[in-house]
Amino acid sequence: MSDFLGYVLTGLGIGAGFALVGSGLVAIYRVTGVVNFAQGAFAVIAAMLTSSLLTAGLPHVLSESLAVVVAAVVGVLVGVVAIGKPGTDPGTSLIVTLGLGVFAYAVEIVLWGDQPRSFPGLSGVATIGGARIQAHYLLIIAVTVPVFAALALFFTRTDLGKALSACASNKYAARVVGIDVRRMGLLAFALGGALGGLAGVLTTPVQQVTFDSDVTLIVNGFAAAVLGGLTRPAVALAGGLLLGVTQTLIAGYGGGAYQLEVALLLMLTVMIVQAARTGPVREAAR
Amino acid sequence: MKYLLLAVVVVTLALPPLLPEKQLAVYILLGLAATVTAGVSLLMGYAGQVSLGQAAFYAIGAYAAGLLSVHGVPSLIGLLLAPVIAAVAAVLLGAPLLRLRGHHLAFATLAVQLILLSLLGQGTWAGGAIGLQGIPRLSGLKDDIGYAYVVWAVLAIVLLISRNVVASRAGRALRAAATSETAAAASGVPVGGYRLAVFALSAAFAGLAGGVYAFYLGYLAPGSFPVLLSIEFVVMAVVGGLGTIAGPVVGAAVIVLLVQFLNELGTQPGMPSYAPSVLSYAVYALLLIVAVRYMPKGIVPTARRLASRSSRAAASPSAELLEERA
Repeated sequence: MSDFLGYVLTGLGIGAGFALVGSGLVAIYRVTGVVNFAQGAFAVIAAMLTSSLLTAGLPHVLSESLAVVVAAVVGVLVGVVAIGKPGTDPGTSLIVTLGLGVFAYAVEIVLWGDQPRSFPGLSGVATIGGARIQAHYLLIIAVTVPVFAALALFFTRTDLGKALSACASNKYAARVVGIDVRRMGLLAFALGGALGGLAGVLTTPVQQVTFDSDVTLIVNGFAAAVLGGLTRPAVALAGGLLLGVTQTLIAGYGGGAYQLEVALLLMLTVMIVQAARTGPVREAAR
Repeated sequence: MKYLLLAVVVVTLALPPLLPEKQLAVYILLGLAATVTAGVSLLMGYAGQVSLGQAAFYAIGAYAAGLLSVHGVPSLIGLLLAPVIAAVAAVLLGAPLLRLRGHHLAFATLAVQLILLSLLGQGTWAGGAIGLQGIPRLSGLKDDIGYAYVVWAVLAIVLLISRNVVASRAGRALRAAATSETAAAASGVPVGGYRLAVFALSAAFAGLAGGVYAFYLGYLAPGSFPVLLSIEFVVMAVVGGLGTIAGPVVGAAVIVLLVQFLNELGTQPGMPSYAPSVLSYAVYALLLIVAVRYMPKGIVPTARRLASRSSRAAASPSAELLEERA
C-alpha cells in the first residue's frame, strides 16, 4: 500500500511537469491556433540556463526565476517568427515552429554542449503515510497547483486575460472591440514560454535534460493537453497528472520499459476517439 | 524541359564510376533520401497531410529486408517484400490514424515512430539497441557502384509511379480533397480510401528505400532512424516543392550536399567537436523556415515560374502583365 502511495505521489510530481508543458501549448493554441512544436525547447533552455547560473554561484530561486523569464523572452522570439507575418496560417506556423525547435538544438549545443545536465533540487526524503518519496516531487506539486490557480484567475478575472480569451473565442470580434490580436498572440507565446521554462526548471533535478529531451517533453505535454482538445488548461492539468501517475504505476509494477509506449497509445486512443465523436473535420470558412 | 531531363539522366548515370568512394556513399544516401522524400511530398502535397513519422516506414522496410535475409530468405525477395510490408503496416496504422488531421496527425505519426523505435530497441529478435548485424549484401552486387545504380533505378521507378499517380484520376481527386475535403466528398470522391492509398504508397517508397539501405550498410540499429530523420524528409519535401515530381530530388540534393559540405567544414582542424552537428541542425532549421516564409511553394515551382516568366517576357512584354493580372 505504501508502495502504491509512493508511486502515485511520484507520478503526480512527474505529471505536473507534463501538465506545465501542456498548459503552455494550450495557452498558445487557444489564442493563435498554432501548435507550438518548439514548446519542449523552452523547458530545455530554461533548465540548461539554470544549471549554468547555479554553477556561477547564483542562489536557488533567483536562478530559476531568471531562467523562466529568459524562457518567456525566447517564447516571444519564437512567436515573432511563427506568427509575426500577417496571414500566416496555423499549418505553416506549425512547420515554422518545427524548424525553430531544430534550430534550438544548434543553439543549445553551442552554449551547453551535448551532454546531459542536471542540478540539485530540494534534497531530502519525505515520508507520507508510510511512503518514502523524494521531497522534490512534493515541491513540483506545490508549485504547479498555485500556478494553475493563478492561470485560471488570470484568464477569467483580469482585463488582459479576458482579452486573451476573447482572441481565443473569436478573433474577428476581438479585433472589432479594439484588441490587438497579434500582440495578444505574442503575449500568449510569452506565457507559453514561461510555462514551458517552469516545467524544465522544476523537473530537471529529478530527470536530467539533454538538448534533445524536448521530443519526449512535447509529446507528453501534447498528450496531456489533447485530452481537453488543446483549449482547456484545467483539463491539461488533469491529463498531465493522469499521464504521470499511469507511467509511474506501470514502471513501478514491472513494466518500466514500456511506460512511454503506454503514454503514447493513450494519446493516440484519445485523439482517435475524439475524432470519431466530432465526426468529419470542420473546415475553416474561406 | 525534355532536354533538361535527358541531361540529368545522362549526368547521373555517368557519375558513379567517376566518383571517389566517399562521394559515392553521398550519391547513394542522396538517392535514398530523395526516394523517401518523393513519398512525403506526395502525402503532403496531394493528401495535404504532414507526417512526422516517415522514418518509421523507412525503418520498417529496412528491418523487414534485414530480418528476412538474416533468416535465409534470398536478398532479392527480401528487397521486393520490404515495400510490401511497409505498405501493409501503413494500411493497418493508417486506418485508425488517418481520421486525424493537421497537427493531430503530425503528433500521431511522431508517436508511432517513437513507439516503433522503443520496440526495436527492446526486441531481442531485432537485435535490440545494439542493432541487427550480418545482413548479407544484395546477391550479385559486390561493390558500391552497383548499389549506386540500384538506387538510381529505385528512384526512377518511384518518380515514374509518382508522376502517373499525379496525372491519374485518383491524383486529380486527391488534389480536390486537399483543397476542400467536403467539396470533394460531395462530388463523389472516396476521400478516405484515396488518402489511405497515398499513405500506403508513400510508406512503400520509404520501405523500398529502407530495404536498399539495409543491404547497402549491412547493419541496422534503432539509432539510425531518429525522429530528426523524419523531420529531415519533411524539410527536403518543403524546400524542394510539395506536390511536384522534381521537387523531392532537388530538395534532397540541396540539403544532402549542403550538409555534406558543412560536415567537411565542421571537421576541419581547429573546429570544435560539436561543429558538424550544430551546423547541420542550423541548416535544416534555417532552410525550412526560410522556405516556408519566403518561398512557400518550394524551389522547383518557384524556379519554373521565374523561367516561364522570363521567357514569355522576352517574347512579348505584355505577357508578364497578363500573368500578374491573372
